[in-house]
Amino acid sequence: MTATVTPSSSSERLRLPNKPKPSPFAIGLGLLIVVFTVMCARRVGFSAAGLIENLQRPNPVLDGLLNTRWGEMFSARSRSAFLETLQMAVLGTTAGVIVSLPLALWSTEVGNPYVVPRLILRSINNVIRSIPDLVWAGLFVLGTGIGVLSGLLALFFFSLAVMVKLTADTLDGLDMGPVEAANAAGAPHTQMLRTAVVPQILPAFASYALYDLELNLRASAVLGLVGAGGIGVRIRFFQNRGQWDKLWGLVVMFFLVVFVVEFVSVRIRRRLV
Amino acid sequence: MSAVPGNRLELPSKGRDTARIALTTVFVVLFGWSAMSVELKWARLWTAPADMYRLFKVMFGDLPWDELGKMTGLMWDSIAMAWVGTLMAAVVAVPLAFLAAENLVGRPIAWVTRQVFNVLRAVPEVILALLFIPVFGLTPMAGVLAIGVGSIGSLGKLFYEIIENIKPGPIEATDAVGASAIQRLRWGVLPQVAPELTSFLLYRFEINIRASSVLGIVGAGGIGGTLADSFSFKAYGSAGLALIVVIVGTIAVDTISGAIRRRIVSGRSVDIGDSAKYAVDTGGMS
Repeated sequence: MTATVTPSSSSERLRLPNKPKPSPFAIGLGLLIVVFTVMCARRVGFSAAGLIENLQRPNPVLDGLLNTRWGEMFSARSRSAFLETLQMAVLGTTAGVIVSLPLALWSTEVGNPYVVPRLILRSINNVIRSIPDLVWAGLFVLGTGIGVLSGLLALFFFSLAVMVKLTADTLDGLDMGPVEAANAAGAPHTQMLRTAVVPQILPAFASYALYDLELNLRASAVLGLVGAGGIGVRIRFFQNRGQWDKLWGLVVMFFLVVFVVEFVSVRIRRRLV
Repeated sequence: MSAVPGNRLELPSKGRDTARIALTTVFVVLFGWSAMSVELKWARLWTAPADMYRLFKVMFGDLPWDELGKMTGLMWDSIAMAWVGTLMAAVVAVPLAFLAAENLVGRPIAWVTRQVFNVLRAVPEVILALLFIPVFGLTPMAGVLAIGVGSIGSLGKLFYEIIENIKPGPIEATDAVGASAIQRLRWGVLPQVAPELTSFLLYRFEINIRASSVLGIVGAGGIGGTLADSFSFKAYGSAGLALIVVIVGTIAVDTISGAIRRRIVSGRSVDIGDSAKYAVDTGGMS
């Protein structure tokens, strides 16, 4: 960019511009990161030598991966567990998506002119979002017992957290023109939302819903680890008996399903946005 | 609105999107099939709120505050696991991301690297933890590796998308002065992508906190183990306290990390001395 310039007079050399000094923020952040990293590494007992040594030890799980039992993918029990996982993902996502639209509208300025309810809703959503999916599943297993219902409820809350956050962020970048037009034409609040807000966010919203389906499908594989139904129950079963070859058969099959769903979903999402 | 009386304006006909109708049909059928055939007594859905209310009453009714110190320590374990894992992932993901950016390497190499990212991205951390536990035992290191390997895919994907969006100008400039491949990365690419890379790293850290606080459920260290134990021994009070610690810890880290991210991306105004004078001198040349 800065090409060499021949000075007009030979005696007067051009000086390079001063380099900007690193800001106090950058220095502080750098120091903070180094200190934090050292603290964390000591806390978890991290050591590179131990890492390499441990990785060289014989590993039954890895042996199982190399001798995967492919037959496990198609046994009747695994198949029904798969269908259950798929059903949980579809139902949980649908319920979460339907409920998330009004909640997202109520948690933004355009849909809810009152500050206090808006703030309350946002903080509730922050709490929902900070609870991991497996913890939701554990809670519902305790409350409602082992089975599909607990997984379904866990996925519902998990979807709610993701969808409300993404949709609310989209709503923040809304084009206010149509809203003003609707208000100027005397539309009541719901009509304004229906005609000026929802059509604007619908493509993005549909895309988020598909993304959420992908997330839920992936999450529903592990929900069974705490007893919330689906393929995870089988994974837990094989893990407890140390049958890693069968476990890997299941996991690989699951990835194939996730890949196919993601492939289709990404195609559709590209069309939407 | 209506222009000429007697001559009514017709609304334009609505477009018909066949693909949209087909998609909607597919989803409705899928939903219907799921709802009908899932092994679930739907009546139980109505008793669920009462069940959950009873659970919350025993969980938060009598909190064992004397366990707070232990819980905070375990949450701190989870946070440390997430951070070390995220850093480990970044160390692997950054060089790989350069190999996945089509504007830096050829298409075939980029394609292969991206498939690696895709496979890694598909594996849930908990499954990875199952893989590492027999190697490292029931220690935080198993969790660190699970998070580290699990984040390579998504970090790499975000990173190469950032790298592909850089401006070609600085790269051309480094090429024009005869920079080597490494120098080109150091001066042409890295300064452009560094702020966004850092920001995504922190964002991933926030996500990984959620992952690492549940890894303990399968035995990989952190607060998840206590949570799972108190669930299975029906120690509801401890479970409630652990849950509160997880929520408060996660929100606290989110808030701090979010503030740093905003500051990094918005940047600051830089005072570069009296360079404006020289900009005039070189202006005619560039």
